[in-house]
Amino acid sequence: MAERRSNFGRSNSRRVDRVAGVIVSVAALSIVALLGWVVVATLRAGLGEIDLPFLTTAPTRAGRGGGIGPLIVSTLLVLAIAMLAATPIALLAAIRLAERSRQDRPGAVVARSGLIVLAAVPSIVFGLFGNALFCQALGMGYSILAGGLTLGCMILPFMTVTAERALRDLPDDWRLGAAALGIGRLSYLWRIELPAAAPALGSALALGIGRSLAETAALLFTSGYVMRVPTSLFDSGRTLSVHVYDLAMNVPGGASRASATACVLIGLMVLIDGTVVASLARIGAGRSAPIRRDASRDRASRIGDRS
Amino acid sequence: MTSPLRSFLPLALMLAALAGCRPPAESAGEAERSAANRLEGRLLLSGSSTVAPLVSEIAARFEAMHPGVRIDIQTGGSGKGIADVRAAQADIGMTSRPLKEDEQDLVAHRLATDGVALIVQASNPIPELTRQQVIDIYTGAIDDWSRLGGAALPIQVVHKAEGRATLEVFLAHFEIDNTAIRPDVIVGENAQAILAVAGSPGAIGYVSIGSAETEARLGAAIRLLPLDGIPATSDEVAAERFPMSRSLNLVVTSEPSPLALAFIDYARSEAVHDLVREAYFVPSTR
Repeated sequence: MAERRSNFGRSNSRRVDRVAGVIVSVAALSIVALLGWVVVATLRAGLGEIDLPFLTTAPTRAGRGGGIGPLIVSTLLVLAIAMLAATPIALLAAIRLAERSRQDRPGAVVARSGLIVLAAVPSIVFGLFGNALFCQALGMGYSILAGGLTLGCMILPFMTVTAERALRDLPDDWRLGAAALGIGRLSYLWRIELPAAAPALGSALALGIGRSLAETAALLFTSGYVMRVPTSLFDSGRTLSVHVYDLAMNVPGGASRASATACVLIGLMVLIDGTVVASLARIGAGRSAPIRRDASRDRASRIGDRS
Repeated sequence: MTSPLRSFLPLALMLAALAGCRPPAESAGEAERSAANRLEGRLLLSGSSTVAPLVSEIAARFEAMHPGVRIDIQTGGSGKGIADVRAAQADIGMTSRPLKEDEQDLVAHRLATDGVALIVQASNPIPELTRQQVIDIYTGAIDDWSRLGGAALPIQVVHKAEGRATLEVFLAHFEIDNTAIRPDVIVGENAQAILAVAGSPGAIGYVSIGSAETEARLGAAIRLLPLDGIPATSDEVAAERFPMSRSLNLVVTSEPSPLALAFIDYARSEAVHDLVREAYFVPSTR
């Protein structure tokens, strides 16, 4: 009786396991399928319109003709300013927040909850904030600079939170070991912590880059709508995603050009994100390899001792 | 106490550094004074996202004729255009509606006219709707096409989001209060409304005639309904016969700069009628 029940229980739990496994796989597959569907649909609608002149010439007829050359320039400038403004602050704030000894201090708690609230603020709010602060109060007008700084403010919370997680994921033993060896805190940070966390920090950067390239609402009121090649950072310049939005929404007959621009945007994002992630992964692999090898050898020898 | 202060120090430093960055003093004022004869300087336009693509094309042509002139165009809606002109943030505002009563301190120059038409999916057999039927559909009193002589199919009401100029034209024409409307779908722009209606057999929506005519010609599965017996076409809008229409305006203060006036004159001249028609609007006939 008891034996039969336990048998039944085992086969039942195995069946539950199998069903759960299928459900999880289907969920994972559907995410991949959704992504694939978005990419394929965009490429199919837009790829045919892309040629060299499209990438280099200026738009005509409100974007229905010509290319997107000046907009690529504006996009890269806005992105560069946003990353230059946000990366150092995000990294320093993350280092400060990841300090183990100080995590429960009121300052850290306030800063961390502030970051979470800021990360949830809709981007249009950052747009209005950027318009009021950078464009009007600081007198920058509609400009690449104002747009880049607004984006910098917008991506700062995401990048800080991701970077903090990256630093905190390193084993606590390393820090203690370094302290035991008399390695200074700055030296530990620079030589061990940052290189080891580099691949994960790369995803913080990638997140910031992706959000910057995709943003429209925060830029409409800051970097603006002008399609000329910017000659200074105080010129207004339209980014690719603002162009996609305008073509799809305000320009009748602009749909195919919107898809073509979206293709270029996706390509640009993959290119930049890929480069950043790959190069930071290489830093991580190069610098922290000895540490990791030591650690694994250590573990192996310990296992060997036990057996 | 020092700890929270120290966490915000970087932010404070960044703001302080930014306060030092101001754009190089642009000689807009001087340029405007000499603009009367030589047309030089910068113009900033802001306002309706419906008007902006057209005006940016007109501006590009104007810049080509006057190399000393630079025209920047920003969007944000008719209301933002009016606010920017009043606050001297922009030289010219763009609106897709006439000036309201409390906006009479400004001067509007009509650039073009845009008709708003009701659209249904191409498969919908309904020939025309009366004024009362449209009101009943949008307020939820009629919710199935069978009650209007069509097939038994629930009506899907496509409505525009608050602040859209076409929404105001629609509400004013049918004299409906926005809170009385029972929408199934709320969209932002014409292209979205056309997509929504084309993709759903029971849908009804309202959009700019120019954009609807174009998308229908490009193969979108929509049909424009006549209004009060008048077909919804650009020609009827041009003849000012089509009842549901709106004016697209360039708005300035009572004392505009000579450069702004020169640009407005050009934007209303026959030299740009091809651009107006290409944007699916109807040129203003003076």
